[in-house]
Amino acid sequence: MKEFKIGMNAKLDMLKFKNLGEEREKEIEKSASTSVKDSSLTNTLAGILHPKGIKVQVSHIVKETEDTKSFYLKPVKLESMPPFLAGQYVTLAVTIDGRTYKRPYSISSSPNSLEMYRITVKKEKNGIVSTYLFHECEVGSTFNLLGPFGHFTYQPLRDSKDVVFLAGGSGITPFMAFLQNQKFLEKIHSLTLFYGAKSEFDLIFKKEIDEICSKNKKIKVIYVLSEQKRSDYAYGFIDEEKILQVGVENKSFFVSGPIKMYFSLNEIFKKLDIPNKFIRHEIFREVPEDLVEQNFQLTIKMNDKTLTIPCNGKETLLQSMEKGRVKTLAHCTVGECGFCRSKLLSGEVKTEDSCVREADKEAHYIHPCVTYPLSDVTIEVPIK
Amino acid sequence: MENKEYDVIVIGAGNAGLVSALTLQKKGKKVLLLEKGRVVGGLASSFIRGRFEFDTSLHQLCEFGTKEDSDAVYDLFSRLEIIDKVSVETLPEAFAVYTLDHKEKYVMPVGKDAFLLKMEEYVPGSTKSMEEFFSLCEETKDALSYLNESKGHPETEVLMEKYPRFMVVAPYSIEKVLKKIDMPLKAQEILCSYWSYLGSPASKLSFIHYASMVYSYITKGPVIFKKSSHAISLLLSEEFVKNGGTLKCLTGVKEILTQNNEVIGVVTDSNEKFLTRHILANLSPNVVYGQLIQNDFVPDKAKSLTNLRNFGARGVSVYLGLNKTMKELGLENSTYFVYHSLDSDREFKRMHDVFSGNLAATLKNTSPDTSSLVLTSLIFGDAFDKLVTKENYFEIKEKLAESLVSSFEKATGMNIHDAIEEIEVATPVTFARYTGHPEGVIYGYLATSHDNLLPRIMNEENEVFIKGLRFCGGFGSRLSGYSSTYINGEMEALKTLGEMENERV
Ligand SMILES: Cc1cc2nc3c(=O)[nH]c(=O)nc-3n(C[C@H](O)[C@H](O)[C@H](O)COP(=O)(O)OP(=O)(O)OC[C@H]3O[C@@H](n4cnc5c(N)ncnc54)[C@H](O)[C@@H]3O)c2cc1C
Ligand code: FES
Repeated sequence: MKEFKIGMNAKLDMLKFKNLGEEREKEIEKSASTSVKDSSLTNTLAGILHPKGIKVQVSHIVKETEDTKSFYLKPVKLESMPPFLAGQYVTLAVTIDGRTYKRPYSISSSPNSLEMYRITVKKEKNGIVSTYLFHECEVGSTFNLLGPFGHFTYQPLRDSKDVVFLAGGSGITPFMAFLQNQKFLEKIHSLTLFYGAKSEFDLIFKKEIDEICSKNKKIKVIYVLSEQKRSDYAYGFIDEEKILQVGVENKSFFVSGPIKMYFSLNEIFKKLDIPNKFIRHEIFREVPEDLVEQNFQLTIKMNDKTLTIPCNGKETLLQSMEKGRVKTLAHCTVGECGFCRSKLLSGEVKTEDSCVREADKEAHYIHPCVTYPLSDVTIEVPIK
Repeated sequence: MENKEYDVIVIGAGNAGLVSALTLQKKGKKVLLLEKGRVVGGLASSFIRGRFEFDTSLHQLCEFGTKEDSDAVYDLFSRLEIIDKVSVETLPEAFAVYTLDHKEKYVMPVGKDAFLLKMEEYVPGSTKSMEEFFSLCEETKDALSYLNESKGHPETEVLMEKYPRFMVVAPYSIEKVLKKIDMPLKAQEILCSYWSYLGSPASKLSFIHYASMVYSYITKGPVIFKKSSHAISLLLSEEFVKNGGTLKCLTGVKEILTQNNEVIGVVTDSNEKFLTRHILANLSPNVVYGQLIQNDFVPDKAKSLTNLRNFGARGVSVYLGLNKTMKELGLENSTYFVYHSLDSDREFKRMHDVFSGNLAATLKNTSPDTSSLVLTSLIFGDAFDKLVTKENYFEIKEKLAESLVSSFEKATGMNIHDAIEEIEVATPVTFARYTGHPEGVIYGYLATSHDNLLPRIMNEENEVFIKGLRFCGGFGSRLSGYSSTYINGEMEALKTLGEMENERV
């Protein structure tokens, strides 16, 4: 194929080849030496949507029921809170007695009003943070907030236009963001909300919900009381019979509530052959049943230092780290976000690894927020 | 402030940063690898949604081959002594390309002979020119290795004698060369389907750049990593640490310190200071010259060159976990290109719109009853920046997903919607968040006349504007893509090593 020709002859081609570099040089000479562009609106937006942490102040507190309070959080420095999708959560970093605890809370306010986020907290029996928030937190208190995060959101491509929300107790919170979101309500055809609580006095946001329903024919609410019989409410738990009454064919189920509820609903979904794609869960932490109260040592390697703290077979490594005053990167605290990803260097553990990448599992990475020690343990944690 | 000194500091643990750090560490240097993110890999990572693990970016890996018939990346991983831990899967075909406007469909197999035969079937009379194309590819491959060995100082005589045809075609675009060898237009277009992988239309892409990639894909077959790209990124980083390297994640560099136009160290975003005379930056010159080095200390020529360059593609990816297998979906190929037409100039223009509907897709079974489909669409220019606000962002994201899924369905005639169990969408904002690259660019700089592969490689040594500061990765001299960035990582590491040796003399 000697006759291949593009240029005039080989010498000229050589010249052209050599010129490639010189032409570039010439172009550079012509170009301005003004300072260089290093970002754009896209980068700014990335910063707005995913801030590294937001300082917030409690602007007011509303007692919703005997054991639940809503906290309205407004930004201290930012003009407004970051946009979020209904169903997402934030992580509140709360410092009590010099120990910093991180806890996820669903945003219960509307995605349309970003002057403040509302989170709603139920006092848990032995809850450190919830008890603190309930009793000690006052208007004016400031916190560091992480997020918003989470995938408990409505995806028109995946989800049905006929939606069923299943809420138990304080699990109603993410649904409040959905109910107040016009854009979401426009996208769907119908929405049934089952809301289970012990008694009518434990129903959080009942007034708000009833008001929203009265204005929108697409929404139907069924309150289910487990410890109080009233003719105008359903009685018992959210069970198969009640779900079948509204029909299950081609509907998307969103579940948020106590763990017991997840398990019983999962049984029902399985029995009714509901495909995975139509079942969405709010994040939750499964606490294994066979945990043993036993004391061990947890050794933590960070960048340049190493420290050892006590830990216990009944507590997650993250809980021990919080107690031991170790700063952590944890966000979701339930194994989903991967922020606490750490390498297990030695020791036996019991861990929930459903959100750990395959290669990470093989290389012994764990999420300390869902990992319990079975012996003395050494982990390597990334630290900021 | 903590003061620590290293032989080399690598900024950014993307493909190139990881390979260069490991290469230098294995050569006995004391290396510090700084990564601002939580995990290593940059764009080469993975994430989990439900029962699916998605690769963030890899559709096809080029230049790999097999043990018996290895290509550049295989050889590199052998040199790095990690090849035994890398498991790949060779994809059955080169690609399937569909057009929306005329409902065309061409499925191209792997293997030179099979490829020629299939092309002849689609475009009768194409074989002669296709054979010539392959022969040009072979000469190009050899010539490039020679250029590489000569470290940018090739001997004219050798070039003219041994690689005369390479010399002829080197300055031209792939389009021009294919025309010259009288390839029928349809065959040219089908052959150029891969253009979007390099992010520039056939009229702008240099022949040698395009030809090297296509040649490797067709003769060796494209591969993907069995576990995920994250597995490889993790492997590289663990080997680096095993060899004594220091890796710090969650540690961004906020300043590069220079003195008399020489590198002296870096400052991290938590105000730690590390000293060094050699930096390999796995990020854009825009960020390095515009953000990390004080403007007064950046040479004018560095700014001029950077201002001259245009960014390459931004991207949108829709990751779908499907509750059906490929067979149940009625789809049998693993790599798809969907364009309105096969005219790359026209499509390139069209892709200056955010909703072009053009895409590259990768489909694979992930379990006996599930599969995953990733749809990636490129956007050129500042269209995305102009469209998006914080108010409409989520809506645009939804619309993008909708438009890509329906475009794929339209092209293939298959239903995807009903099988979607998990969905995630990445936009330029997402990529900007994870890499810090300006505008969320994923393909480095646009490959075009003065900024094509050859001029970049030929002028590289003149463009070390600050002594001790080199670039590696997608914004570097071998342009973007997995194989390019891996290989470039080693190249730049060896050049840095060369500089260190010269200093000692
Ligand atoms: C959706 C998509 C699909 C793709 N498909 C393919 C494909 O099929 N085949 C293919 O070959 N290629 C593909 N690519 C391209 C390929 O992913 C990239 O070219 C390659 O991963 C880039 O590697 P890199 O070395 O340039 O590093 P990058 O991945 O760009 O990483 C840069 C790293 O530097 C870090 N960093 C940045 N600034 C700082 C700082 N100041 N301090 C510390 N660290 C910093 C970042 O956090 C990041 O980790 C695709 C890309 C995308 C996005
Ligand atoms: S904090 Fe989210 S995975 Fe542990």
